[in-house]
Amino acid sequence: MIRVQDLCKTVTSGAQELAILRGINLEIKAGESAAIIGVSGAGKSTLLGLLAGLDNASSGAVFLHGQNISVMTEDQRASLRAKHVGFVFQSFQLLPGLTALENVMLPLELSGRSGAAAKAKVFLDKVGLAERGHHYPRQLSGGEQQRVALARAFAVEPDILFADEPTGNLDEHTGQRIIELLFALNSESDTTLVLVTHELPLARRCERQFVMHDGVLSEEFDNDGVAKPIDSALDAL
Amino acid sequence: MNIVAALRNFSRAWRGGELGLLGFSLCLAVLIVTGIAGFSERLSGAMTQQSHHFLAADRVLKTARSIPENWLTEAQAQGLRTASVVSFRSMVAADEDMQLASVRGVSEAYPLIGELGVSDTAFGEVELVNRGPQTGEIWLDSRLMALLNLALGDEVSLGEANFRLGRALLSEPDRGGMNDMLAPRAMINIRDLAATEVVQPGSLVRYRYLFAGNTEQLNAYAAWLAPHLIEGQRWEDLRDGQPALANTLKRAEGYLLLAASLGVALAGAAIALAARRYGDRNTDNVAVMKALGAQRRQILYRYLGQLTLLCSGAIVLGGLLGFGLQEILFRSLQGLIDIEIPPPSWRPFMVGAITAVVSTSVFALPPLWRLSKVAPLRVLRRDLADNSDDLLSSGLIGLLGVGLLMWWYSKDIQLSGALLLASLSLGLLAAGLVLFLISLARRATASRSQGALRLALAAIYRRRFGNAFQVASFALALMALTTLGVLRSTLLADWQMQLSEGAPNHFLINIQPNEISPLDAFFAEHQIADAGLYPMVRGRLTHINEMLLKDIDGIDAERGNVNREINLSWARELPEDNRLEAGAWWPEVSVNGADNIAVSVEQELAEQLHLKLGSVLNFNIGGQALQAEVSSIRSLDWSSMRPNFYFMFPPGSLEKYAGSYITSFYLAEGDKPLLTALLRAFPTVTLIEIDAVIKQMNTVVAQVSAAIGLVLLLVVVCALLVSVANVQASLDSRLHENAILRTLGASRKLVASGLLLEFSAVGLLAGLLAALGSNIALYGVQRWVLDMDGVWHGEVFLVVPVLGAVTMAATGWFYCRTVLTTPPLLVLGRL
Repeated sequence: MIRVQDLCKTVTSGAQELAILRGINLEIKAGESAAIIGVSGAGKSTLLGLLAGLDNASSGAVFLHGQNISVMTEDQRASLRAKHVGFVFQSFQLLPGLTALENVMLPLELSGRSGAAAKAKVFLDKVGLAERGHHYPRQLSGGEQQRVALARAFAVEPDILFADEPTGNLDEHTGQRIIELLFALNSESDTTLVLVTHELPLARRCERQFVMHDGVLSEEFDNDGVAKPIDSALDAL
Repeated sequence: MNIVAALRNFSRAWRGGELGLLGFSLCLAVLIVTGIAGFSERLSGAMTQQSHHFLAADRVLKTARSIPENWLTEAQAQGLRTASVVSFRSMVAADEDMQLASVRGVSEAYPLIGELGVSDTAFGEVELVNRGPQTGEIWLDSRLMALLNLALGDEVSLGEANFRLGRALLSEPDRGGMNDMLAPRAMINIRDLAATEVVQPGSLVRYRYLFAGNTEQLNAYAAWLAPHLIEGQRWEDLRDGQPALANTLKRAEGYLLLAASLGVALAGAAIALAARRYGDRNTDNVAVMKALGAQRRQILYRYLGQLTLLCSGAIVLGGLLGFGLQEILFRSLQGLIDIEIPPPSWRPFMVGAITAVVSTSVFALPPLWRLSKVAPLRVLRRDLADNSDDLLSSGLIGLLGVGLLMWWYSKDIQLSGALLLASLSLGLLAAGLVLFLISLARRATASRSQGALRLALAAIYRRRFGNAFQVASFALALMALTTLGVLRSTLLADWQMQLSEGAPNHFLINIQPNEISPLDAFFAEHQIADAGLYPMVRGRLTHINEMLLKDIDGIDAERGNVNREINLSWARELPEDNRLEAGAWWPEVSVNGADNIAVSVEQELAEQLHLKLGSVLNFNIGGQALQAEVSSIRSLDWSSMRPNFYFMFPPGSLEKYAGSYITSFYLAEGDKPLLTALLRAFPTVTLIEIDAVIKQMNTVVAQVSAAIGLVLLLVVVCALLVSVANVQASLDSRLHENAILRTLGASRKLVASGLLLEFSAVGLLAGLLAALGSNIALYGVQRWVLDMDGVWHGEVFLVVPVLGAVTMAATGWFYCRTVLTTPPLLVLGRL
């Protein structure tokens, strides 16, 4: 489902070249859940941006759903995202001018699917916000906003879901509820999940864990129940 | 995207509050432009219509001979209404008394426009009628009735015919020209003219043929008439017939046009600011939509749809409100103006609509284009640049758009070009100066200043590009306002000076030298202040530089002011309201020809006759020749209602020609019967009454003053809109910054004083620049648009910066008080 070959990203800051990602290789199969973990500034979000085709790599290739998105135009990548990709962000990224329901309808409308409102209502119901559909984001708590964002992400029934620190702006209790909901929806729809986080317990909920350190990605082990290696890997960071 | 989807999008965006300010600005722009344009157009139409009262027609054909009958039938065939007036001087007799009268024979249709004021007694209560005397009837001026001791119904004879005195004639719409008023008026029906046998071949008679109709009919007839006209026949409109009034109206129209053009520009500036904010606010939304799979095309369609619907809504609503505004404006003028207002037309609505469309295109499309290019990566990295660095190019596109709008609206490339250039220079100067000052202030105060000042400076520095844009736009608004405000006072002062209470409203001419002291005694006895006695000799200009006037190419010798006997005068000092434009006043003059006498010529005549210093002129004064040489050129105000002369000579040069004196004085309306005593005491002196003309002028000036006052008020609203849009443009970042500051422990007082200082500084700077810009603009507009003298206005350097600082601080405070009252956490969570 996702295949990455020798992915590099460098930025120039003044006269200096700064390598953010250095030769990333990665393969995630359909239906798998994978966590990318690392400290702030390690390059996690940059990798996520490249995986989702939000940015261009300096070199290397990203294959999404079997297609090399590195050679696509921005509009072609957008079209691919509209068909196959869902997003959950740390800062929710709901459109403030749209109601909860309209926010969920937005990606359905953008990809031209019919019955957007009905489908959006179903997913709002799934996240327990059926009654709040006509509320604006500013009228919702942080947890509620993230639940709307989850409904929006799953409503398009994506093949791949990218989640960027989905609990980063929430308190522990609310964050926990969001995670439960995220994994419940994920297993229900059999979506491939790529989750960026710096929280170890959250990373452990995924089948595979990758550690990002100084622009280099390493998969510490296949998740077969033994948690120690990733702990040690993180300790080493 | 189909229309349903577009409507759905629009309604969502509208409910979400993203479109509010832009929609409001657009709507207000349409409202104000439609309002001002419509008000100006209709008022100007009404005033032109009313001003034609002063001709009693739309056009007049003046001639010394009667015209062929088919000229009038042709006019009627073309849909024009016509009337005829024959004027001559003759004696009117009653019993044993006789008086010279200026007689008019008028046809049934006279006056075509306006009314005659009549009464049943001399100097009595005015009654307005729209037709002249019946056959067998004569109407006499009150003064003539008093001089001849007549009452209504008495018998009066004129030439060989007898008439019954029908009414006292108090006013005529077209009583204007001096020649008309040399003697009191008598009016008869034109059909009685033949019976009087006064008009014989060779009599000095003037014919006026009056025409009324719409402009197309008038122009078509004028075109038909032109090849038929012979020497001595003149086709005149208001400009020729009533130059003082035409000048007043021309300036008023110029002002209204300028005000409306600036209104368009200010509305554009407000839209620019609102569109910027609209773009900024949607940057994150677009990034999210792109991340969710929206293509660039979809983004463009989506926002284009929103703008189209917003613009259409604003046009409809603003247009309707604009018509409402016109009605309110006219209602508020009720009581001040007594004219029939023409019905509203579609043109102002079109002006409003096109203003909205062009403003949206030039101001909102560039931000929309930038929006479509927002990188989707912004969803992960908020710090990503949002492509808003091309302020200069979008500013230039905007200015160009507004310039084209003003050109289209005013149809005056000079006016719009000058305004555009002034705006551009001021905008660039403002932006450059602001950036310079900000970095200077930051460097100078970085370490030393404390508290509010440092906070204000830091905030100003952070938003330096936005601030430069804001100062520039606010400076433009203030400049427009100042220019119009000062111009209004200047125009009013100018008009009022001409028509001040107590300005001379009567002229006495033909005063013989031996009558001077008895006349002075008469004035002293009745406490009448006169404007001084000016000597006067009647003469005709015959040659310029030895060439006969009519043989000189490029000179229209038939113009009224050349081909006739004109008044020549002499004076020791330059008259008070005259100004030397070239040459010198005596005694410091030198002439080339040894026998030549120096002469000072009025500027407009000098231009018309291509006279230069040193040109040699020959005059014929009662059969005697006089050779003079132009030694100076004077400008003067023909509308000043004082004795004015085309040619003035040094003392001693005209004494040998039989001459008389002229004076002018003011007489209140109630003292009019005194004129009878005056004329009885000085029977050979000729009295000219211009009080009726002055009254007409006063009416027009009152209307025009009230109108431009109201239009100025509308421009104030536009300027306020710009300042509101200005403050709102930075509201979000202010909320965010101040929330952070307060979270970090800054007191509300500190944040508040920081805000006030920042806004005041922006307003003060904009005010200073506006004061400079408006002085330059005023000079240009007075000089080239309104045909007045350019004057430097120092006082605006004091007033405008203060006004700017206070307005900006007040607007800023009003909109930013939420910054202080919103809990910081709420703000941070929201942004």
